Amino acid sequence: MSTARKSQSYYYDAHSFFDEMFMPDMTVRAHYEPIHRQFSRLKASELSYRQQALEQRMLEEGITFTLYSPNQREPLERTIPFDYIPRVIPGAEWRMVEQGIKQRVRALNAFTCDIYHEQRIVADGLIPRRMIVGNTYFRPEMVGFDVPCNAYMTTSGIDLIRDERGQYYVLEDNLRSPSGFSYLYKGRTLMSELFHDLYFSCSVQNIEHSLNHFLRSLRSLAPSGKKDPLIVLLTPGSYNSAYYEHTFLAQQMGIHLVEGRDLVYRNHKIYLRDLRGLRQVDVIYRRIDDDYLDPLAFQPDSLLGVPGLMNAYRAGNVAIANAPGTGVADDKAVYAYVPDMIRYYLGEEPLLNNVPTYLLSRKEDRAFVLEHLSELVVKETSLSGGYGMLIGPAATAKELAAFREAIIAHPERYIAQTTMMLSRAPVMQCGAMAPRHIDLRAFALMGSDLHVIPGGLTRVAMKEGSLVVNSSQGGGVKDTWVLQDE
Amino acid sequence: MLNRNAESLFWVGRYMERAENHARLIDVHYHLQSEADHSAADTEELQQRAAQRWIRIVDALGCRSIYEQRYSGYTENDVLYYVTHDREHANSLISCIQHARGNLRTLREKVPTEMWDAINTFYLWLRDKRQEELSGESPHQFYIRIKEWTALFLGISQSVMPRENEWYFIECGRYLERAENTLRIIQSAVGAGGAEEQSSYSYLQALLKSVSGYQVFRRYYADGVSVEAINEFLVLHPAFPRSVHFSLLEMHRHLSGIQFQDAQLKANHARMIRQAGRMIAELSCMEREDIGNGGEIVGELLEDCQELGVAFAKTFFRLGEASA
Repeated sequence: MSTARKSQSYYYDAHSFFDEMFMPDMTVRAHYEPIHRQFSRLKASELSYRQQALEQRMLEEGITFTLYSPNQREPLERTIPFDYIPRVIPGAEWRMVEQGIKQRVRALNAFTCDIYHEQRIVADGLIPRRMIVGNTYFRPEMVGFDVPCNAYMTTSGIDLIRDERGQYYVLEDNLRSPSGFSYLYKGRTLMSELFHDLYFSCSVQNIEHSLNHFLRSLRSLAPSGKKDPLIVLLTPGSYNSAYYEHTFLAQQMGIHLVEGRDLVYRNHKIYLRDLRGLRQVDVIYRRIDDDYLDPLAFQPDSLLGVPGLMNAYRAGNVAIANAPGTGVADDKAVYAYVPDMIRYYLGEEPLLNNVPTYLLSRKEDRAFVLEHLSELVVKETSLSGGYGMLIGPAATAKELAAFREAIIAHPERYIAQTTMMLSRAPVMQCGAMAPRHIDLRAFALMGSDLHVIPGGLTRVAMKEGSLVVNSSQGGGVKDTWVLQDE
Repeated sequence: MLNRNAESLFWVGRYMERAENHARLIDVHYHLQSEADHSAADTEELQQRAAQRWIRIVDALGCRSIYEQRYSGYTENDVLYYVTHDREHANSLISCIQHARGNLRTLREKVPTEMWDAINTFYLWLRDKRQEELSGESPHQFYIRIKEWTALFLGISQSVMPRENEWYFIECGRYLERAENTLRIIQSAVGAGGAEEQSSYSYLQALLKSVSGYQVFRRYYADGVSVEAINEFLVLHPAFPRSVHFSLLEMHRHLSGIQFQDAQLKANHARMIRQAGRMIAELSCMEREDIGNGGEIVGELLEDCQELGVAFAKTFFRLGEASA
C-alpha cells in the first residue's frame, strides 16, 4: 500500500488497461513506490522549473530530429517529447525479457544465415519459398557469402508491448540499423542530472558499459581480427532526420562520422580520405539503407553510398554492420514465423510471445480478416515507422473500405494482427499524472558475443487514447529504469 | 612589476583553475552511482553505502581530515555546503573565487577591466546563491554554471590580455595547478576503495569525465577502458590539455616567456626552467608499464610539482613557503 497522500492529481483510473504504476485497485506497485512518493512530494514550482530546464537542455544540446514536409519552406527541427516520469522494470522481470530477446535475435540471425546459404528452413517446408524470393529486402548478392563473426544483425531493436494482463509480446523486429540509442542515453543523462533525487532513490542498472559493448561488437567484426581497426559510421548526412543520433554515437564511441563522399574504393578495399591521405577502413557501421549502399550494386542513382563497396565487402576487406540483406528477417510477414524459427534453429520454446498474426496471402486467414477488419490492425509488410497502417477499431468507414480494396488487390503485401491493448504508464501533463499507452524498444548488440542494453527506449503515444508511439507520428519517450535485484 | 603582484597573478591562475577542476570533480562524483551503492543487505548498510558517495566527493578534493574535524557525518547537505559555500574550507568554491577576486583587486590597474568585471560578477553570483536553491533545482545545472563562469574569465583573459609578464604568471599558476589536480585525481582513485571498485566501469568512466577526457580517450583507446590505460592517458598524453605532460609543457612554455632584468633573478629563473624541463624529459621517456596503477610514480610527480611551487615562491615572491 502506498504511503503517499492520495492527492487527486497523482492518481487516475487504472482499470481498463494494464498500468505500469498502479494496480487495478489504485495501490502503487511496489517497484514504483519511491517514484510515486517523490513526485507526490515535489512542489509545483520545482516541477515546472525542472520541466523548463529539461526542454532548455534538449534544445541547447541539439537533441532534435528533423521533419520534412512539402508544404513547409523550412524543415521543422523539433525536440522529441520527453516525459520525466521514468518507466520502471523490476530486475527479475527484465531478466526474463532479456533472455527472450537474446533467444529471438539468435534465431533471427540463424535464419538470415540459413536463407543466404542452404535455405534448409525452406527445404524443410517451414517457410514458403515465395516469402523469401519475393521479399523486397532479399539480396541475391549476399547468397553464399560468410559474414564476419557470422553476425548479420550487429544492432537490433526489438519492440515489445504488454497486454491487459501485463504479458510481454514482441510487436516487431527492427533489424535494418534501428535507431533510438541517443534518446535512450540522453534521456538517462538528463534524468540523472535534473531529477537526481529521484534517480538516487532507486537502484537503477547502469547502461554506460553497453556503449563499450557496442564498440566491442563493431571491433570484433574487423577482417582478419585486426587489432586496431578503423571504424566509421556512415551517415546520409546532416539533413537526415536522425543525424543527431549519428553524431552522438560517433562521438561516444570515438569512431569517424563519414558520408559516402569521404570514402573511396580502390583494389577491393575501402579507404577514408582525410588529411593524412588514404587510410583503409575496416568496419562500416552504416545508417543508410541497403538500397543506397553502393550505386554499382543497388540503386544506380544514389549519391549516398560508395561505388564498389559491395565488391570490397565480398572480398572480405571490410565489414558492414548491419550486414546487407538482414531486412529479409524483419519483414512483417516473416515475423509470423519467428516462433517456428526459434524451435527450428535452437530447439527451444519461445520465451517471448508473438502477437497473433494473420498472413493475408493465406486464403483462410484472408477470409477471416476481411470479415473482422474493424477489430484488427493491418500493416503493410514492407513499411515501418507507423506508416501504411490501419487500426481497425479507430478507422473510419472510408479507410476500412480503402484497405479492403488494397488487400484484395495485393494480399501478399499485408498482414493483420489482433488489436493489442498496449499497457499504459503515467505521463506528467499540467502538473497531473495522466495515463498514456507505451511500448518498449529494446536493443541487442551482436558481434563475437550478444549483449542486451538494460531497459531500452520506452516510447509513449502522447495523445490521449492513441496507440501510435512512433516519433515520426508525434510519439514521445521516457527513460527506462531496470532495477538491480534485491 | 612588484613581487607581490607576481604572486597575486600566479595565484589568480591557480585559484580559477582549481575552481574549475573542483566544479567538474564534484559534478561527476555527485552523479556517480556505483553499482555497489545499492547492493546492501539492510538499511544501516544502505545508509553507509549512501555516505560512500559523499566521502568520495570529499576525498576527490583531498581534504577528508579537515572535513571530519568540523562535521559529524557524511550527508549530502553538509558535503555540498563544505565543497561549495564553506568559507572556512580553503578549497571550497567560494574560497577559491574569493581569493582570486581579492588578488585581482590589488592589481586592478594592471589588468584589463573586463577581467575584473568577470571575476567580480562571478563572485557576487556565487555569494548570493543559496544552498537550498542549489539542491532544490539541480546541482548539475549549478556546476555547469560554475564551469561557464571560469570559462568566461579564461576567454576574456585570452582575448584581451597582453602577452607580458602578467599573463605568463597567471598561466604558470593555471598549468601547475592543472598538473597537480590531475595527479591528485589519479591518486584519489588509487587510494579509493578496493580493487573491485577501481575497475568497475562506471568508476573508471567517472575518472575520465572528471577531467573531461572521456570522449578524447575513446578516440585513442577505443573500448580498452582499464586503470592502466587511463593512467597512461592522464599522465602521458601530449595532446590532451588536462594530462600532466601537456600541463607541464604549457607551464614550461609560459615560464620561459617571463622576462627579467635582474641578474640574480635571471639565474634563478633559468634554474626553474631546467627543473620543469627535467620533469618533461622524464615524462617523455615513460611508458605505460612505468606508471602501472599509478601508486608510486604519481606520488613522486606530485612532489616534483610541489617543489616547483616552492621554487616559484622562493624565486619570484621571496616569501619563503608558498601559501596554499
